[in-house]
Amino acid sequence: MNRDVSRRTKLVLYGVLMVLAVPFVFPTWWMVTSSLKPVADIFAFPPKLLPVDPELDAYRRVFELQPFGQQYLNSLYIALVVTVGTLAVSALAGYAFARIRFRGQNVFFLVILAGLLIPSEVTIVPLFQMFFKLGLVDTHWPLILVPILGAPSVLATFIMRQFFISLPGELEEAARVDGLGRIATFWKIALPLSRPALGAVAIFTFLHSWNLYLEPIVFISSPDKFTLPQALTQFVDAYGGPMWNVQLAAASMTALPVLVVFVIAQKQFVEGLAHTGLKG
Amino acid sequence: MRTGKGVRGLAVALAGVLALTACGGGEEAGQDGPASLRMTIWSANEAHLKLFNEIADEYKKNNPDVASITFDPLPFENYTTTLTTQIAGGNAPDLAWVFENSAPDFVASGALLPLDDKLKKVDGYAYDDISPATTKLWQNDGKLFAYPFSTSPFGVFVNTDLLKKAGQKTPAELIAAGQWNWDNALAAAAATQSATGKAGLVIRDFDYKGWDNLSTFWTGWGAQAWSADGKSCGFAAPEMVEAMTTLHKAIFTAKALPGPGTTADFFAGDAAMTVTQISRASLLKDGGFGWDLVPLPAGPKGNYSVVGQAGIGVMKKSKNADAAADFLAFLTNPTNSAKLAQFFPPPRQSLLTAETLAKTNPKLKPEQLQKVVIDGITNGVVKPSHAGQAELSQQVRASLDPLWKADADVKAVLEGVCTKIQPLLAK
Amino acid sequence: MSQTDTRVGRVESRPALGRARPYWTTHRRDQLTGYLFIAPQLLGSAVFVILPLILVVWYSLHEWNVLAGTFDFVGGENYAALAEDTNLGSVLRATGLFSVGLVVFNLTLALLLAVLLNQRLRGTILFRTLFFSPVVVSLVAWTIVWGFLLQDNGGLNGLLDTIGVDGPNWLRGETTAMISVVVVQVFKNVGLNMVLFLAALQGVPGELYEAAEVDGASRLRQFWRITVPMISPTILLTSIITVVGSLQVFAQIAVLTQGGPGTSTTVLVYYLYQQAFQFHHFGYGATLSIVLFGIVLALTVLQWQMRKRWVHHES
Repeated sequence: MNRDVSRRTKLVLYGVLMVLAVPFVFPTWWMVTSSLKPVADIFAFPPKLLPVDPELDAYRRVFELQPFGQQYLNSLYIALVVTVGTLAVSALAGYAFARIRFRGQNVFFLVILAGLLIPSEVTIVPLFQMFFKLGLVDTHWPLILVPILGAPSVLATFIMRQFFISLPGELEEAARVDGLGRIATFWKIALPLSRPALGAVAIFTFLHSWNLYLEPIVFISSPDKFTLPQALTQFVDAYGGPMWNVQLAAASMTALPVLVVFVIAQKQFVEGLAHTGLKG
Repeated sequence: MRTGKGVRGLAVALAGVLALTACGGGEEAGQDGPASLRMTIWSANEAHLKLFNEIADEYKKNNPDVASITFDPLPFENYTTTLTTQIAGGNAPDLAWVFENSAPDFVASGALLPLDDKLKKVDGYAYDDISPATTKLWQNDGKLFAYPFSTSPFGVFVNTDLLKKAGQKTPAELIAAGQWNWDNALAAAAATQSATGKAGLVIRDFDYKGWDNLSTFWTGWGAQAWSADGKSCGFAAPEMVEAMTTLHKAIFTAKALPGPGTTADFFAGDAAMTVTQISRASLLKDGGFGWDLVPLPAGPKGNYSVVGQAGIGVMKKSKNADAAADFLAFLTNPTNSAKLAQFFPPPRQSLLTAETLAKTNPKLKPEQLQKVVIDGITNGVVKPSHAGQAELSQQVRASLDPLWKADADVKAVLEGVCTKIQPLLAK
Repeated sequence: MSQTDTRVGRVESRPALGRARPYWTTHRRDQLTGYLFIAPQLLGSAVFVILPLILVVWYSLHEWNVLAGTFDFVGGENYAALAEDTNLGSVLRATGLFSVGLVVFNLTLALLLAVLLNQRLRGTILFRTLFFSPVVVSLVAWTIVWGFLLQDNGGLNGLLDTIGVDGPNWLRGETTAMISVVVVQVFKNVGLNMVLFLAALQGVPGELYEAAEVDGASRLRQFWRITVPMISPTILLTSIITVVGSLQVFAQIAVLTQGGPGTSTTVLVYYLYQQAFQFHHFGYGATLSIVLFGIVLALTVLQWQMRKRWVHHES
């Protein structure tokens, strides 16, 4: 509803928005400020909103206790590889389902869609056995191959298909008249036009890979191969008690860079999502 | 809908792959050449690892057919789950530490290699030196399946500074007067809490989830989680009801123990007393608060002690089972047992003397070692254990949750526990 | 003759009479390209989705004792055990409560936020960023921070204390624990749905509202009669995604409550994790997986069928 609103309504709206924003912002605020406090202060009652005497000790210990830098790189490169791979697989498959007629395509599409409905907890044990037989346990291969080729990329294919369906057919007709083959049409015409959808897929896929929790825990056992979500739960003392300030420091370092990138690129982020064609 | 050739081809390919992978655990060709051994442990403590690696290095020098020995720390909280998942996935270690509460599962399963013959054959091993009280849990049909390398009794660490601040008598004084019992201990805890604001008594690792640590409390009433044969539920018995009612009052009325969701770490100076195993002495900081270590307070049924145990087992299916058992024999021989004793109280009677232990436990005084450790090991009741431990423990924990509210009906909740676990105990 | 549908068909060349047609016509080449394009995704699905699913069914027909190393065929015994499982009732109830609570709260909040941000206000971009920010924060990080805030002496109760409210022990009461996990999950992801609704709202033609104004309809009436029907395709799609997602929530429960207190937050996916990975009843865990898959499938089909009734289709 793009109409002008009265002054009073504006004030009310701002007020409501600010109240609503609190539970979204407060946890991130708390996470960062608590990571700068000594453990005793974190549970201090009444709580202090700002650290009294900020110290970076927890941050230092994060790197001492875990090969955190390596783990950061792990999460990063895995997410990048998975994103690029998924873009390739889903763009190809989405285009084919949208534009090419071939026998059995509806059946194949339904088979692929099944991937959207199966939770990863259901398939994790057989997948573990498969990778173990291939000697690929405690490597990053399961974390790369499964998202690109398996269930998580199905949503991407779905999105790309929706998008390609919504492309006007005349562009490709014109290309065909010009003598371009199917592959050339895809590469030169359809793909460049699909940038908004590709952007949305890239965002979804990156975030999904960045946040994977169960899979790294099941497949990876060496600390220097851990990914960030896995590493975050490892900051416990020798007997299992959580080291709160260290955990929160690690969590801050995990969340903040992505958040900063998001703030800078948020226009593209949000608009890419809106163009996924999920509007129906 | 036309299915077409494509789909049929897919089905054939699937069937082929299925046939290959569905045949249980794969048999891999036996390794020739030097063996690699892996032992899963739950301690990531640097000092522990240093000692293990030293012993391993010495072993490798004399045994060139063993190329490497790795100590693989798994997270403490989910240790048994992680270990069993590794085994399920076909990735079992050669040796594994086993908690006392999962001993029945491992020992009776046939997954572990029987050790006695191997150990007895080793020169100078002195198998008879092992105290029978410590091996009961790890034996089945007269054979030993895991070596109880650590038998760690529970004691009470006391922050004497806090007690003095609250004007309370220290446990040492109470012991001297023959008055060190739970009533007095809880009273002192409650008084300290209200005087100083710090927590009174913390049963470490309980946190309203690890209920088996409460056995350090209820044993004083003669209560037990289940009967010795594991078939009848002990939670609804009168002794247990009495013990839990006392505990409930101490938590919610007297506030002697911190309530659910409140954390207090004794070793950070936030509690007056804590019930934990003596190995935690390493968490005490030099130059921190004044402290003491005393045995568990007496209950209505008198003095008692409770121990936790850890065993090392060899996985029967390991490709290097023989080499693993040999290494285990070396690791636990008299010389190395003495070295390990600084962290892990051994089952060897010759080593269970105050002087020997004092050498490697500099923080503890001989009287403390005698009263808490040695007497504890000889006479202690082991923490509860049962077959099907994981599910049983979770069921108990879930059924006990209603107890941790101020208005709980203790008797009803405990009866609920028995109702829930009786079918599991019968298995 | 080429057909003017969305799939650009290829015209088959008509050969002169008497000459044999080559095998690789453009149509066949095109088909081959189609198969090649979908091959990675299809084969990947076959290996990483369908095959594990079949194996899970296979496990559910066996009793797999990991430590003893036995894998015995028991047929339908695991399925019969479902009927005798005293915990299953409360697990299904917890799952239902969680999913319904989550979907209702999530969609309502997302729509509310989208409507608020759709007003002509300065600074909506800032608020949009704030509301979306939890989506990009790591899931485990988010859950750990909340776990910490929800402790009895943690940040949330501290905040409530400053306004004189005595907060309950959030994670230790059965109802409050369920509310806590729902709220934590919703705040994490509602930004996504909000953005989708926002895009849909912006696609509603302004003339419809102007016409309604002229007719004297109130803002609320306009909302129900114009806005909701116009964005109903989006509502349906987000609700399907949110429902399916709600049945897969695992990490929050694992980190915050471990299914407790009691079994009040043990939802189906957490229960199956317990059975398979903690109690090592892999066969029974596999059976529960099949139940979960069945529920997801049924709900999705149901919602998809409902689209004919509820979704307002433009031409």
